[in-house]
Amino acid sequence: MNEQNNINNIAETENSIKHRGRFSQVFIYLGKLFRMFIFQNDWKVLPMSAVISGLVSYVVGANLFKTQEGTLMGTFALSCICIWNGFFNSIQVICRERPIIKREHRSGMHISSYICAHMIYQAFLCLGQTIITILVCKLTKVTFPDESLFTSWAIVDIGITLFLITYCADIMALMVSSVVHTTTTAMTIMPFLLIFQLVFSGGFFQLNGNMVNRIKETTISKWGLTALCSQGDYNNKPMVSLWNAVSKFQDVDASDYLVALEDYTDEEQPQEIIPVNDLDFNTTPKKELKPIRDFMVYAQESGAKEQILDWSGRNNQNPNYAFESDIVLKCWGRLILFIIIYASIAVISLEFIDRDKR
Amino acid sequence: MDQIFDGINLISETLGWIMNSIGYYLILKKCGGKPILGLIPLVREYQISLCADKEPEGRRFAIVTALEIAAAIVVKVASLESYPDGAVTIIATILLLALFLTSLVYQFRIYDGLCQVFGRRKRWLWLWFFAEPVVALIWGFSKSFEPRKQLDVVDENAGAKESGVIVKAVDDGLTINIENRTTIDFFQKKYLLKDIHLRIPKGHMVLLLGGSGAGKTTFVNAVTGYEKADASIILNEQNIYTEYKKMKYDVGFVPQLDLMRGNDTVYRTLADAATLRLPSGITISKRKKRVLEVLEEFGLASIQHSLVEKLSGGQRKRLSIAMEFISDPSLFILDEPDSGLDGVVARGLFEKLRSIADMGKIVIVITHTPDRVIDLFDDVIVLAKDASRTGRLAYYGPVDKAYDFFGKDSMEDILLTINQIDEGGEGRSDEFIEKYADKTLETERKAV
Repeated sequence: MNEQNNINNIAETENSIKHRGRFSQVFIYLGKLFRMFIFQNDWKVLPMSAVISGLVSYVVGANLFKTQEGTLMGTFALSCICIWNGFFNSIQVICRERPIIKREHRSGMHISSYICAHMIYQAFLCLGQTIITILVCKLTKVTFPDESLFTSWAIVDIGITLFLITYCADIMALMVSSVVHTTTTAMTIMPFLLIFQLVFSGGFFQLNGNMVNRIKETTISKWGLTALCSQGDYNNKPMVSLWNAVSKFQDVDASDYLVALEDYTDEEQPQEIIPVNDLDFNTTPKKELKPIRDFMVYAQESGAKEQILDWSGRNNQNPNYAFESDIVLKCWGRLILFIIIYASIAVISLEFIDRDKR
Repeated sequence: MDQIFDGINLISETLGWIMNSIGYYLILKKCGGKPILGLIPLVREYQISLCADKEPEGRRFAIVTALEIAAAIVVKVASLESYPDGAVTIIATILLLALFLTSLVYQFRIYDGLCQVFGRRKRWLWLWFFAEPVVALIWGFSKSFEPRKQLDVVDENAGAKESGVIVKAVDDGLTINIENRTTIDFFQKKYLLKDIHLRIPKGHMVLLLGGSGAGKTTFVNAVTGYEKADASIILNEQNIYTEYKKMKYDVGFVPQLDLMRGNDTVYRTLADAATLRLPSGITISKRKKRVLEVLEEFGLASIQHSLVEKLSGGQRKRLSIAMEFISDPSLFILDEPDSGLDGVVARGLFEKLRSIADMGKIVIVITHTPDRVIDLFDDVIVLAKDASRTGRLAYYGPVDKAYDFFGKDSMEDILLTINQIDEGGEGRSDEFIEKYADKTLETERKAV
């Protein structure tokens, strides 16, 4: 009898009262997601990110933030880690429970609350992964820049960028997970997105053409890479590729060329230089002459090498990678804009969940 | 020289189109379709897929081909406009290639279907591919090429007669007046439900019976307001459609599958359902009390800390029902709650549902094994497909009178009677739909 009264009370109240709004519902789903983190395998993304960042920093970490080439390659690799982590965090989370969402939507769940809860939860995961990535980089002796643009520690500034790249990729994958209906489709689409992000980053692969450049502007990798290069003070780093290229010619014996030139003494100017391979060295007297090696030895001994590297770096500057807060803020702004766009698309597409086939 | 080649190309294309059109016209005629549609490109491919019993493939083929044409136009325009760096042309060309390959696959499947329907060997597939106009003509003209089955053409006007009697709303209970429920499927309007009028008093447990495709789930969705029909659904004097936001909490729908997160505990699953479905004004302690009451009532208290994925089929089903019951809805609808459960567990579940009905709720249950628990039901709604493949009301009333109405002594026999012949039934649905319409009209006349 008491039970019946209680039920009637609830029924009576129901005629005049409101149900949970969007804000309150966020907490219901946040609770569910954090329980999933413990009971399901979601926690595994954290150790996984440690392994991935360990591998990458071991390979490219040595010259990161030391030379222009090392910075470009290293920040590109860091961006890749972040995008990879972000994609894997959320690519399946919505599509795998689509029928459950449909049922809950029928029972009064707000899609915006559901997506908002996911966004908060994913932010927690991404933050964890960012911290792990930085810690691993530190452990593998990656040298971070001394100067910073926003906070007192460059590592924090770079951490914010890494977090935004990871989070942006995460929300992009969340959007894909909301649009597609099955995990198989999501996992089929993911590699395409990944390749697209890597190829169109613009920094590592040379891209030409207006259309391609416009496409580049829409990638997470482009803005992430630009922010990292800027924060790493790319433009004031030495450029080593020119020195390395020259060093490959240090064993070239110039006396061969001199002999070839002497053969043309009957003419004022040589018509052409005979290729080294065509010279008959058995009959030609030879005196070893290696000016490139001599020059390199001299440069190293006199300390001019550093000047040369700096000089070549100054001639290889990219205005987009200048050590300026405006550039980094612009990149962060773009990444935040992408996050908002992706989240909005996720909400809109999921609002149509009732139209799913039974 | 180029002009000569262009001329030859144009002539051959026109000739191919004419041969295809004639061939498709004749094949569609043989299949029992609309031959005139064989003259329209894209439409004819879809029509021929119907003939090949490959409707989904035909639909996709038509869409892919339409996109292919669009991509081809983009390529053409982009090359004329000479876009800088030709990126548009490249992207459109890649898309065109992908669409072309996709359309080839669908085309292959349609030709395969044609070979099966016409009882021909697979080698004809390749002939269809490489000499379509010629093969279409041969299959169209030759009398040795006859389809094994005819197209299932549904005559929209062939449905059983309607009663059109609008039932008056009951004070306490559910009043359903569905004029029709339609859908647009690939540019075609289809009637899913038509002319369903009934009143269910409070405290009744009703069996919803119907063969495959009779519209049971569509009916349930229309009643709950989830998929609105051209209808009026009144529950306890309140219109579900116009006050859906409020009324959806007074309607509990338990889906066939146990759609719950397996990695959450029983208690948390129910507590979250309570937070979602109960009014926000209820205090935390009251809500907690309600959760514990429902756990107790559904025999889940002892396993409240277990993960949902660890539960047995019966326990999971009870939890699924409890999630809806938590808000104490007036109308309770369950889609095959006994699927996958053995007889004893199923019986226990239905007894639980009976007790819910006895609390003054309306309980509507869809089940495919009604006879083992038929004694627990008050009424039965029988839905059947009429000649136009529309879901219609063949009977609504007490269970015992249903046996007399259909002249059968079990619900399964009733189902067999109304099922279509190609489904293994007796195909008498129209007879009973009309009989029930007459009965309703007669009752109405007497009432007037």
